[in-house]
Amino acid sequence: MKKTYLHPLPLRVWHWVNAAAVTLLLATGIQLRLAGIPDLPSHSTALLIHRYAGWTMVASCVFWLIYGLASNHLGRHYRLRRRDIEGIFSQTKFYVWSIFKGEENPHRPSPDEKFNPLQKLAYGAVMCIFTPVLVVTGLLFSDILLVRKYILAWNIVKLLDAIHVIGAYLFVLYLVVHVYMATLGRTPLSHIKAMIVGYEEEHDALPYLECSREQEGEKGNG
Amino acid sequence: MDKHHDMFEPPESSPRLNHLFSRRQILKLGGISIVGASALAPLLARGASTPLIIMEKAQGIVIADPATCVGCGRCELACTEFNDGKAAPTLSRIKVDRNINFGPDALFAWREGQGAWGSGLVVQDVCKQCPHPVPCANICPEDAIVVAPSTGARMVNMDKCTGCKICLKACPWEMISFDPDSHKATKCDLCNGKPKCVEACPAEALSYVSWRDLTGKIPPRVSTTARPQGDRATACFECHLPGQRKSASPSARMIPGAAKPSLFSSRPDSTFSWIDRLGTIFLPVVVLAVIVHGAVRTLVKR
Repeated sequence: MKKTYLHPLPLRVWHWVNAAAVTLLLATGIQLRLAGIPDLPSHSTALLIHRYAGWTMVASCVFWLIYGLASNHLGRHYRLRRRDIEGIFSQTKFYVWSIFKGEENPHRPSPDEKFNPLQKLAYGAVMCIFTPVLVVTGLLFSDILLVRKYILAWNIVKLLDAIHVIGAYLFVLYLVVHVYMATLGRTPLSHIKAMIVGYEEEHDALPYLECSREQEGEKGNG
Repeated sequence: MDKHHDMFEPPESSPRLNHLFSRRQILKLGGISIVGASALAPLLARGASTPLIIMEKAQGIVIADPATCVGCGRCELACTEFNDGKAAPTLSRIKVDRNINFGPDALFAWREGQGAWGSGLVVQDVCKQCPHPVPCANICPEDAIVVAPSTGARMVNMDKCTGCKICLKACPWEMISFDPDSHKATKCDLCNGKPKCVEACPAEALSYVSWRDLTGKIPPRVSTTARPQGDRATACFECHLPGQRKSASPSARMIPGAAKPSLFSSRPDSTFSWIDRLGTIFLPVVVLAVIVHGAVRTLVKR
């Protein structure tokens, strides 16, 4: 069994810290937003958890950005290349059709480029749009003395609230798909295991090919 | 609601006009009202013959944030030191701690509310620099309340003011004070555009902003993070603000969670509940799509 080292340790730690923060934020956020559901922690406790998990999220985002820039993780894995344009179509076709016929994933993750075009788009949108919007609006809610009076004077609390909640719903939609897609590996748990230990397992049957750009479209792991 | 309302009806022992006034008292009242009416006559005549005074808008206004105020009173000292040359908080044009026992509704609770159920919150009252109509300027029989040349603030012309105190009664916010030494009315004139109260505030609770209609937009008089929950919210609302909710301005309706929430509805104070409705449509759709995808995949695999 061939193993590929895909996820460096800092990113693995970041991913799971982020996942824990998101889980807490989501659980408390639902309680804060929707009335009528049983308050598991009390309202003030939920607020406190939401606040501290939010600050964790801020730290996590800053770390992701700095690490991504410093290690060129962003440049390597997130940059859209020219062949990604048609990659979008082949990848979409795979997910809505070929996957049912048992075909191989057209994209093969490699240390040079671990995300398929759809992943690049989705992760890029989540990390560069949704999360920053959520983090910034959340920060503005946290009663920072410097901006507090302007928020109150301009009366934009409800606008920020709306943006925050829309962002949260989009994030949840993404999260559902993300968790499902995480089970599409060789075995249902192989992607998740890879995110813990760092090594992605490859099929025995497939000879591991040093990824040249042309071959990448033909062979991939599941 | 009505049940609670009754709790605040005046007790039975309070004076009622119909049976408690003796004949002598009624005669006395009659005499007072004749004297009062004759004193008011010149004012009424003037009001009929001269149009309302229309002033240009003030350029600035001091706005105050009660949530950050620590109640130190330095603004009051700075105000009177600059304007009156003495430390006399009673003369101050910003009035800081007179509302501490009357809760977030401050003076309004004092006049119409039920009295001392104070939240302990220090609420700063400042001159609103009213646009037209300007109550103090309109009532002044000497036209002594004029527009300050530098800031457009409504200021007292000390040469014209006779100290009749009628402006003190005219101001709906009771923001005008009376200096017994100089026998003149005093009110906020924005200190030539550099309000000393704002400069003196160590808590950044005051700011001097350009004047615009801030109705419903000034910082609320309660902290936005402290909210009564559940039964307690309902109880507060029903006891402390009977009947005031409907007439209150949006910013004054600061009792969140007062309405009983229905199952899975948005909190009553969260507008944009259409977001939740969209969410409850899209979320099941996506979850269903994922489930179908997975089911088809496993079926085909077999």
